[in-house]
Amino acid sequence: MTTDSFKDLRTAPRPPAALPQTAGADLPSGHGAGATPGHDGPARPQRKPARRKGLSERNRPLWMLIPGGLLMLVIIVVPLLLGIFMSALSLDQYTLRKWVSAPFIGVENFVEALTASPLLHSVWLSVSYSLIAMVVTLPLGIAAAVATQNAFRGRAVVRSIFLVPYVLPSFVVATVWRTMFQPDGVIDSALGSVGIDAGLWLNGPQTFWTLVLVQIWASWPFIYLLALSGLQSVDHEVHEASALDGALWWNKLRYVVFPYLKGPLALAFLIGMLHHINNFTLPFVLFGVPAPADVEVLPILTYVTSFQSFRFGLSAAMAFVSLVLIAIPLFIYLRAVKLDDAETPGGKK
Amino acid sequence: MKFASSARLAAVMTAAAVALTACGGGGSDSGGAVDGKGKKLSVLVGVNAHYSAQQKEWFSDIGAKFKAQTGADIEFETFASANDELTRIQTSVVSGQGPDVYSLGTTFTPTAYATQAFVTLSDDDWKKVGGKDRFNPAALGISGPDAEHQAGIPFVSRPFVMAYNKELLAAAGIEKPATTWDELAQQAKKLTNPATGTYGLATGYKDNFDPWKFIWAMSVQAGNPLVDGKTLKLDDPSVKKAYETYFGWLTKDKVVDPSAVGWSNSNAVAAFAAGKSGYLMMTTSSSVPTLEKSAVAGKYAYATMPTTAPGEAAPKGDGDKAASILSGDNVVVADYSKQKDLAFAYIKLITSKEEQLNYQKIFGDLPANAEALKSLTDPKLKPVVDAAGKSKATPFTGAWGDIQLALLNVTVQSVPDLSNGSVDESGLLNRIEDAQTKGQASLDRAAKS
Repeated sequence: MTTDSFKDLRTAPRPPAALPQTAGADLPSGHGAGATPGHDGPARPQRKPARRKGLSERNRPLWMLIPGGLLMLVIIVVPLLLGIFMSALSLDQYTLRKWVSAPFIGVENFVEALTASPLLHSVWLSVSYSLIAMVVTLPLGIAAAVATQNAFRGRAVVRSIFLVPYVLPSFVVATVWRTMFQPDGVIDSALGSVGIDAGLWLNGPQTFWTLVLVQIWASWPFIYLLALSGLQSVDHEVHEASALDGALWWNKLRYVVFPYLKGPLALAFLIGMLHHINNFTLPFVLFGVPAPADVEVLPILTYVTSFQSFRFGLSAAMAFVSLVLIAIPLFIYLRAVKLDDAETPGGKK
Repeated sequence: MKFASSARLAAVMTAAAVALTACGGGGSDSGGAVDGKGKKLSVLVGVNAHYSAQQKEWFSDIGAKFKAQTGADIEFETFASANDELTRIQTSVVSGQGPDVYSLGTTFTPTAYATQAFVTLSDDDWKKVGGKDRFNPAALGISGPDAEHQAGIPFVSRPFVMAYNKELLAAAGIEKPATTWDELAQQAKKLTNPATGTYGLATGYKDNFDPWKFIWAMSVQAGNPLVDGKTLKLDDPSVKKAYETYFGWLTKDKVVDPSAVGWSNSNAVAAFAAGKSGYLMMTTSSSVPTLEKSAVAGKYAYATMPTTAPGEAAPKGDGDKAASILSGDNVVVADYSKQKDLAFAYIKLITSKEEQLNYQKIFGDLPANAEALKSLTDPKLKPVVDAAGKSKATPFTGAWGDIQLALLNVTVQSVPDLSNGSVDESGLLNRIEDAQTKGQASLDRAAKS
């Protein structure tokens, strides 16, 4: 944020009527700007020249990026390049000791990953499970956020309880659910008492839905949190104005409140999907290895290939292929929601 | 984004390990008598969760004795799980530094040997650890691919046996525990009474290790060593028969608690400890502390598991020597270690008769030292000692890890069928074939290296 925007904040009058439309057009970011959606409609023309010539812009303390940049280089870029290098080697327990001189086999690992391994099946499992979990958690999270938006007795308690699944470590969540899902365990006896024989939860085709269910339980509070932060940014005046205009609850929700949520929820969707796809702890603790074929998701497959079968080269190739496969839709999505171009004037606040 | 996480993790470990210097102590080989004054030996061992206080005591006790003998200190490091251990080994192998001495589970020894990062002992080296003949010959079976190339020095034996409930067997009119798998199934039927929740056998189908051990044992006893040179023989009828027998306990004979489809070994121990099963399969002497405190205290005994394959009258090949996989811990010395003599002196100390007996008393694991093993007199341990002599090594190949995983995977993918009460034959054959393909591919890679 430039200092300008705060000036705008102070000086620019905000016509309430213009709010829904502009709020939809520009997405509030996570920091500060979320509190002032819509003000840039009228402010934009004045700011543009100021942006180009502003002192603060020219003297940006870019050197402050150095520590973070160095860490990125050491922790992400270098290992990523090493990973790509490894993917072209025949690296396994026989060659590990002198791994730099392991036989170079070019794209063989990639060919094996794509044709002779369950990689594509795993990608499909990972993406579909993440998407299903995400689509279910979105309305849950929004509903919970809307329900706890207005003050009522005990709201603080309810809000705290809602956060429990989010605060619990993944390992604990998975261990508790695994115990409950045991054959003849708590869940089976509960369902049995109403005459349902649910079958196996931790083995067989149903495991996919077990994973989805536990993931939903564990991750909906994240959506709830971001939806809540979006709701907080809806100004009091907007509620008043829409009430004066005679909007009923659904119209108010649909045309007044939801546009505010678009930004935070787009972010939640993105982070949530990445988090689900990367989730190793949950399936690993719930099902163990070798995993049932229906939950052999990407992280599990890469783990088994690397650390059980010692095929480091193959697993690096798998990891790289999945990185590319998932980066493509991710890139398109990022462009679509404009979360990535904060520097484009007017693109995002 | 972390999609490349595993690969990157490995790479980070590499980078980190390369960046770290000054590990593992310096100093050149002393030659001749071991004088370790001012040196420090680094030893990596698995943490013993059951007896952690005793283990710490053992560390300081051995440390003091070692200091008295050589003047050097020992630094013990522990790993909590097999994964933890793997990570440490991989890091050390890649970076060429880390602990001087490692403890390894026997089934992991072939994989470790394949990395060539550990010392293959010469005759001279064997002398330094007290001579090869101080060890129980059977325990040396998984130290290396052949008698001339051995890297693993046996430390303790943990052979697998079965435990039986003496009262339940007597009540069912059974005089002696079974010695063939067919007889075992017969006896188990007599012992089973679902009305009282009592079942003939306690075993966990969701365990991460047990299932492949059954399949291995029954196949070997039918004359199929699973790995024959460069060929994997999972497509042999004996393997199918083994799976059918193992699954049949649950689906056909109905002598196992139906919940066992979700059990690991510890659930099975718990069921046996509650007095609800005639036999507890695939257990070791380390179950003694649990059972002694349970409802079956004083009412149970151990026996070697059957050595006659299902459907056979007598063991085939060297089947009678396959009562258990050769199980326990080996110690290996890192090839990069700069103080190998000191490492050998340490191993000589911990494999001496006195120390081995002391270790047995504290932790329950059987000695790998031949004399110490012979001197054990506890009648309860007799069958376990027998099993130590009747243990057969799993095939010594770097591919064994994959084969083991493939065998286990057949069970994992069959569990839904098991739970429905019958395992479809064609489905089973498909899974075995899949295991054969994966295992053979791994074996081919091993042959190329």
